Amino acid sequence: MNKNKHGLLSVLGAAVVSSLVLSGCDNGAKLDISRQIGANPSMPSAQNFLMPPMQVPAGVGWKDGQAPKVVSGLNIEKIASGLLHPRQVLALPNGDILVVESNGPGQEAVTTPKQVIAGIVKGRSGKGGKGGNRITLLRKKEGTAGEWEKHVFLENLHSPFGVQLIGDTLYVANTGNIMKYHYTPGDTKISDPGTELADLPDTVNHHWTKALVASPDGKKLYVGVGSNSNIAENSLAVEYRRAAVLEVDVESGASRIFASGIRNPTGLQFEPKSGKLWTIVNERDEIGADLVPDYMTSVQDHGFYGWPYSYYGQNVDTRVKQQRPDLVAKAIKPDFALGSHVAALGLWFYNGNNLPEKYRGGAFVSEHGSWDRTPLSGYQVVYVPFENGKPSGPVEPIVTGFHSADEKNLYGAPVGLAQDAQGALLIADDVGNVIWRVSAAKQ
Amino acid sequence: MRVENKSPTFKVASAIFNLLNPVPFGLFVAVMIFDFIYANTGEVLWVKSAAWLVSLGLIFAIVPRLINLGFVWFGKNRTAPAVKLDFWLNLVAVVTALVNAFVHSRDAYAAIPDALWLSIATVALMAIGRVVLAWQNIGFKEFGHE
Repeated sequence: MNKNKHGLLSVLGAAVVSSLVLSGCDNGAKLDISRQIGANPSMPSAQNFLMPPMQVPAGVGWKDGQAPKVVSGLNIEKIASGLLHPRQVLALPNGDILVVESNGPGQEAVTTPKQVIAGIVKGRSGKGGKGGNRITLLRKKEGTAGEWEKHVFLENLHSPFGVQLIGDTLYVANTGNIMKYHYTPGDTKISDPGTELADLPDTVNHHWTKALVASPDGKKLYVGVGSNSNIAENSLAVEYRRAAVLEVDVESGASRIFASGIRNPTGLQFEPKSGKLWTIVNERDEIGADLVPDYMTSVQDHGFYGWPYSYYGQNVDTRVKQQRPDLVAKAIKPDFALGSHVAALGLWFYNGNNLPEKYRGGAFVSEHGSWDRTPLSGYQVVYVPFENGKPSGPVEPIVTGFHSADEKNLYGAPVGLAQDAQGALLIADDVGNVIWRVSAAKQ
Repeated sequence: MRVENKSPTFKVASAIFNLLNPVPFGLFVAVMIFDFIYANTGEVLWVKSAAWLVSLGLIFAIVPRLINLGFVWFGKNRTAPAVKLDFWLNLVAVVTALVNAFVHSRDAYAAIPDALWLSIATVALMAIGRVVLAWQNIGFKEFGHE
């Protein structure tokens, strides 16, 4: 009997040890992230996991006087705090700033045990904080430094994200439609209920953000619509008009798919030199800490960029059962990789002249930060220099220090970017609930 | 020779065991069927359902497996070899089901073929345990007083 018990205990012990060994497998990144930034990123082979790499710092917010770090020559200041999950910023012609305060509509049904776990992990990071479903207007206090005046500008929105002004009409992309409102310069509140210009795909809303940019001539709006899944695991039936950039006619509200196969286009901008539409894209997860690099790319009319069948051109994703070699064959390779899992959520082509010369003419990209990678990636704002309408040089982190050095605590996470009347760069921070303003340091 | 065990603790444990022990087996059989259908159709309904079933099967397995552990290894009387074999087969089955639950957390077709092999292994191990006991003419109730 005693011998039996010994045998039992040793086998149980072996089982525990082996399961620990299994879960402790080194799933961390093997590639230096710099090898996945640029026009030709390294592509390791895809892996499947029992537990995907998962590392999320705990959201703690900023302490008084604490701020992100900026490179030398730049200065950072807080112009608003205590916001409700600010995601996007838009500078109005009169110098006022609109801040979209929002988070997901929380309408995605729990259909797998994994979602229960993922919800808990996300909540820990502060990225799941409740959104304000409103837009707040910031106005600089004349002659004084410090935080700007805050006015509640537009309320009762439904998970808004993109916002654009064309002439005297303000367009707001809720998760399910584009609303338009009359705007009078100087107003600090819009109380009219607005009219719907166009509806947008709003079932499930796994990726709920609807990024928005107006064409330079003001005739079209381009909408970034994310996929309803990581890799079509919610069936292709719910992916109609998703993972796409839609083009909406401002006059009629009629829309069409402009480009597709773009998993989650979270920021759209026109590149000033070439006049081309560019987007930042969040690529798929759970096939490795070093896959798949998020990217920025020019968006071609009728272009197909691979999702879900392939990534970064013709790299086939075997997690999709219904393979489509015909579509993979025509998948366009994106222009420029930003690194795996950085979660690019803000794009701004800088055309001001406040920041030092070397930050002019290129793009700022804000990286909200990874959950599916060890060590962490992203959690910074980078500058991508451009020449002749194309990324031209090494990417430089400009604003950093959003998490503690030991990667345990998260103070903030950058999302939307804009440029104010003086040419300073504005950054929405939806974990710190702050708007940051980055300008040239005074000499 | 069988000794009638009349202790109330034994009766309660035996009743709980008999109520709960068949549940994981049934759920794991369903997992195997659903995985087979998913592997052939790619309809995500099946693999998502299988993910729930394998998790539920593991939860339902906790109590009867602990009762079985007590009966087999810490009972007052000698335990038949078939009963011990059944214990080990079930233990390995629970481990394969646990690994299977993690495999089912993969997105879409990444679960295949691993999930299918693991669910077949789980069912086979549990089924062999049952056959071995039946062959020895040992009923569930008699674990503790064999």
